Amino acid sequence: MPRRLKANERRASILAVAKVLFADKGYNGVAVDEIARRLGVSPAVLYQHFPSKEALYDEVLSYACAERESYIDAALKGPDDFGSVLERMALVFAEKLASDSDYLRMEMQAALEDAPAAQQFFENRWKSFADFIEYSIKELAQQGQLGHINPRIASLMYQGMLREALYSKLILKSERFKQFSLPDLIKLMTSLFLNAIDFHPQT
Amino acid sequence: MNIDLELDARGLNCPLPILRAKKSIAQLASGQVLKVIATDPGSVKDIESFCKQTGNELMESGDENGEFVFLLKKH
Repeated sequence: MPRRLKANERRASILAVAKVLFADKGYNGVAVDEIARRLGVSPAVLYQHFPSKEALYDEVLSYACAERESYIDAALKGPDDFGSVLERMALVFAEKLASDSDYLRMEMQAALEDAPAAQQFFENRWKSFADFIEYSIKELAQQGQLGHINPRIASLMYQGMLREALYSKLILKSERFKQFSLPDLIKLMTSLFLNAIDFHPQT
Repeated sequence: MNIDLELDARGLNCPLPILRAKKSIAQLASGQVLKVIATDPGSVKDIESFCKQTGNELMESGDENGEFVFLLKKH
């Protein structure tokens, strides 16, 4: 006879299954019955842990949007010029999302549903890129290593490219980019971005 | 406690506080102290890892009013 799960284990298993379903179908596309069926329990068991589907969704979102990457290795292991650190950061981020693309889907769902978590996804995921690019471009311009570039727009440009690469490879699994691995795509894209802003590391 | 250099990393997300700390500490002589103020909660773990990886000493680490303050002694 299977062992009964402890309350915290049951809660964690509900969140894990709900995350996969919500990521795939969005809030409105998932019924509590379906989550319960996947878990092999009755809906009543779900309601013991979460008062409503909305409460469960909020919890799933709040976990997903609170995830933060540590870029300490990206910052310290390897050349420390702007372009090299940026590429390593993007690779760390892409590797994380490739290991569980539901996080990316949850972010898309949150944006579509105008959920407050959408802002948290930016704060915890994308702001590292926004800050790093903006700050570095300002500093490089002050040092005369870059021309007049709007740092915020440059940052938006890079985030847009990265997001599109992640969507194409992880969500759409696009045939158009089949010959590129995700790391290759990120390396090429980063190189194109650095050329576009006319950045060349000083040797 | 004598602070030789202060780094304001408020409002910046990882990895900027670390990269700024790396640059700031490079300006110090051995035994001098860098104070870092940050607001990113991730900076607590990151500064610890930074000190471990670079051999600098994390003398103090604390938080006050949503800000994190670190004292680093250059090795």
